[in-house]
Amino acid sequence: MSVAEAPGRAEPREAAASRLSRKIDWRVFAFVTLLLVLLYQVAIPFLMIVWTSLKTVRPGEPDFITLTFSLSNYVRAFSSSSFWTAAWNTLLFAGASTVVSFVLGAFIAWVVERTNTPLARFIGTMMVARIIVPGILITVSWILLASPNIGILNLVARDLFGVRNFFNIYSFGGMVWVHSIEMVPLTYLLLSASFQSMDPRLEEASTMVGANNWRTFRRIAMPLAMPAIGAALLLLFVTTIETFEVPLLMGGRARFRVFTTEIFQTTSRTPVDWGLSSTYSVALLALSILLLVIYFRLLRHGESYQTITGKDFRPRRIDLGRWRYFTCALSLLLVFIITGVPLLVMIYASLLPNWQAPGIETFKSMTFANYDSLFSTPAVLMPMLNSTLVGIGTATIVVLIVAMISYFVHKTQFRGRRMLDYLAFAPIAIPSVILGATFLWFYLILPVPIIGTLTIIGLAYLTKYMPFALRFVSNSMMQIHRELDEAAQVAGVPWHRNFFKVMLPLLKPGLLAAWFWVMVHAYRELTVALMLARSQNRTAAVLILDYWEQGSFLKLSAFGVIMFLALLVIVVLSNMLGKRYGVREQY
Amino acid sequence: MISVAGLGKTFQSKSETVHAIRDVSFEVAAGEIVTLLGPSGCGKTTTLRCVAGLEKPTAGSIFINDRPVVDSKHDVFVPPHKRNLGMVFQSYAIWPHMNVLENVAYALEGRGMSKADMRAEAMRALDTVQMAHLSDRPAPRLSGGQQQRVAIARALVGRPQALLFDEPLSNLDAKLRMEMRKELRRLQLQIGLTSIYVTHDQSEALAISDWIILMKDGQIVERGRPVDIYCRPKKVFTAQFLGATNLFPGTLVALDGQRARVQGPHGDLIGVLSDPELRIGAPVQVSVRPEAIRMASSLGGTGQADANQIAGRLELAVFAGNAVEADVRVGEAKVLCLLDHDADLKADRDVVLTFAAEDTLVLANE
Repeated sequence: MSVAEAPGRAEPREAAASRLSRKIDWRVFAFVTLLLVLLYQVAIPFLMIVWTSLKTVRPGEPDFITLTFSLSNYVRAFSSSSFWTAAWNTLLFAGASTVVSFVLGAFIAWVVERTNTPLARFIGTMMVARIIVPGILITVSWILLASPNIGILNLVARDLFGVRNFFNIYSFGGMVWVHSIEMVPLTYLLLSASFQSMDPRLEEASTMVGANNWRTFRRIAMPLAMPAIGAALLLLFVTTIETFEVPLLMGGRARFRVFTTEIFQTTSRTPVDWGLSSTYSVALLALSILLLVIYFRLLRHGESYQTITGKDFRPRRIDLGRWRYFTCALSLLLVFIITGVPLLVMIYASLLPNWQAPGIETFKSMTFANYDSLFSTPAVLMPMLNSTLVGIGTATIVVLIVAMISYFVHKTQFRGRRMLDYLAFAPIAIPSVILGATFLWFYLILPVPIIGTLTIIGLAYLTKYMPFALRFVSNSMMQIHRELDEAAQVAGVPWHRNFFKVMLPLLKPGLLAAWFWVMVHAYRELTVALMLARSQNRTAAVLILDYWEQGSFLKLSAFGVIMFLALLVIVVLSNMLGKRYGVREQY
Repeated sequence: MISVAGLGKTFQSKSETVHAIRDVSFEVAAGEIVTLLGPSGCGKTTTLRCVAGLEKPTAGSIFINDRPVVDSKHDVFVPPHKRNLGMVFQSYAIWPHMNVLENVAYALEGRGMSKADMRAEAMRALDTVQMAHLSDRPAPRLSGGQQQRVAIARALVGRPQALLFDEPLSNLDAKLRMEMRKELRRLQLQIGLTSIYVTHDQSEALAISDWIILMKDGQIVERGRPVDIYCRPKKVFTAQFLGATNLFPGTLVALDGQRARVQGPHGDLIGVLSDPELRIGAPVQVSVRPEAIRMASSLGGTGQADANQIAGRLELAVFAGNAVEADVRVGEAKVLCLLDHDADLKADRDVVLTFAAEDTLVLANE
């Protein structure tokens, strides 16, 4: 039924009809614009990687845009031993980190979701709260803890037992440990969600037919959890092969090179080896695409297990008896190592006049001098402001775009709406190092002077964070009944008005979650920001790396503490604003 | 035989203790099916899960064939997998990673049976529920009704001491539910297994049970044979919950054996005394089922000495297929009547409602 035929409407048929067509125009216009923006933001990076890898000249030279291609970069890369070393190292590093973080994260998720361990909720909250601690600070704090000669743990071990350099963080084991610790909250989030969505009746049914706990676990719980576990393992693996902070800060001294550091090195040393860098990128991209394809197949397989569900869901918690105090203590220890240690090390180091092991004298000598000197340096303010701007700006724009995408995908019948979904999701396969590089290369060719501004970082972040935001928003979009939109259409409300007045308020929970996620991650992001950094657009994370390279650990720590606090303030403030304005979350 | 005595279960929430069930006692004789009926939150499912062993009661005892499985005084608690019971869940809980045959055969694992024997037994159970032809179908590709049948076969295959049903039909559509209801009854009569059946659907309970136990707020309100509990409820709650009923308040003024006279705003009404404890002067409710009421356009002889008559105004009559539903205003109250399907639908007219004394129940006011 169209508006023109609605009974009881006094206006003439023509007027209503023309209003109808105008409304459809608006929607089509928005749809086409969105499609073009996505093509520009997503297709170009993919194209740039492949294009550059087939070129022997650098972007910006006239020959770069001609249609002559060569495979010489590939020949060069595949015949060098450093390519194969990097490939092997990448896989080794990813494999080991995946296993360690999976074991730790799965243990905590199991304790929190499926046992009667005391303080379970607190443990879960602290796990998630870790997400606002910037990754580079975690890496730095572990280096300060366990590096040879200066690491706190090594100094303590020397004083107490006379052992020199008991720990060496600059090693394969050290890298795996730090990166795993960093990924545990992600593992926890992935697995706790799937543990929650498991129907406890399936296990109870097994108990009722006489199976004991062990057989129920082996024959029912494990097989049912397998798709989710497999998907989590794959995602952890992909995350690790794309990671950059740990290999950058520790890989050099550990003599352990992976793809991401190779790409960064070939791009940042002079003369820049564009061809080789993009060849590495193609290899890395191909690997992550392959893994993500398997990942999505597993996810779909897992969803087919969830077609049969009950109405009342009370998670089945295992009574651990006295063991629950043990699991509680162990989880608290892990949470302390994962969330507490980096912050404590940062605060400790930020208060020192010079680097020394903890002791009575050390605590007596503590001062705020590092903070004083930071605040008296005007150059410090700029990166902080940049991070805030980029974080809030990116989050807001990403959330708006993603809301529109999921509206078109889930609530309209437009042809090509699936295309939007795929385009917005594809960047999940692009490692940050490559994303940064392609944006740099592209704007070297394009005569738009945005290199060295916050805009180019924001554009790259738009591509980078869209897939994640889309997950949050699509989930809440699917919960809104299509009839709510159709009711507004039949009532003759213009489309854009309906979108802002009906859809966005209804989507609030998903939008808020997406906004926080993007804001926090864009605020603390290092890799892309580093690839695109010039003098004026340095972000807080880049400044931390600068301090690191200068060896000013104490200033770095003070700055890290301020950065963390600033992020905390933004999160708390926007949380309060979100609660105050807008609709209450009761849908 | 199952006997439950003094069963209680409390949940500790943040500030208070919630009694999910309190002092629940009943017996299920061998080969009989007993239904726990009540609105949601009345404790019927909690009671069933205590019998199953999936919840640990905080008080009371449960005996299955004279073996104690729960005795909170002596700290006895037999875990569910050692109780040898069959259970059909509301969501069916069919394991999605197995096919139909594997779902049923799994229930026989750990009994030292050979693969071939397990398969044969499982096929026999599937045959009972007419699912043998779909034995190799993967579980996610079953319809709701088929899942239901597999769930029953799985519960039956291990030859349990008793069967427990937790709202097994509530996820089916209306037509299928009617069919399955009869089939469950047929199956139960055929196998003769002691069963406890939980539902919130009164017509399901009436159709399927040997005994009905009506529950409310964690306690048993009333129990009886389906016919008795429907036709001669003792409590207002029972009358209201088991089908629609009309209630007229009043005071008990005279007693003559089973016959009671009630005085109220609607005049004097005569009915059957449901509760022998009631004394003259007690506040009561008079209950009349909608289908027991006849409608006439004027006062007149009814041919019966003790028929009740009330004057009212027909506000609305709607055709409902097998009957006509009529709303009649009587003073402040609205009376629902189910009339023959050829009744006059013309509304806004004065009518007289007639109902026999033996169809009228005098219940204690709660």
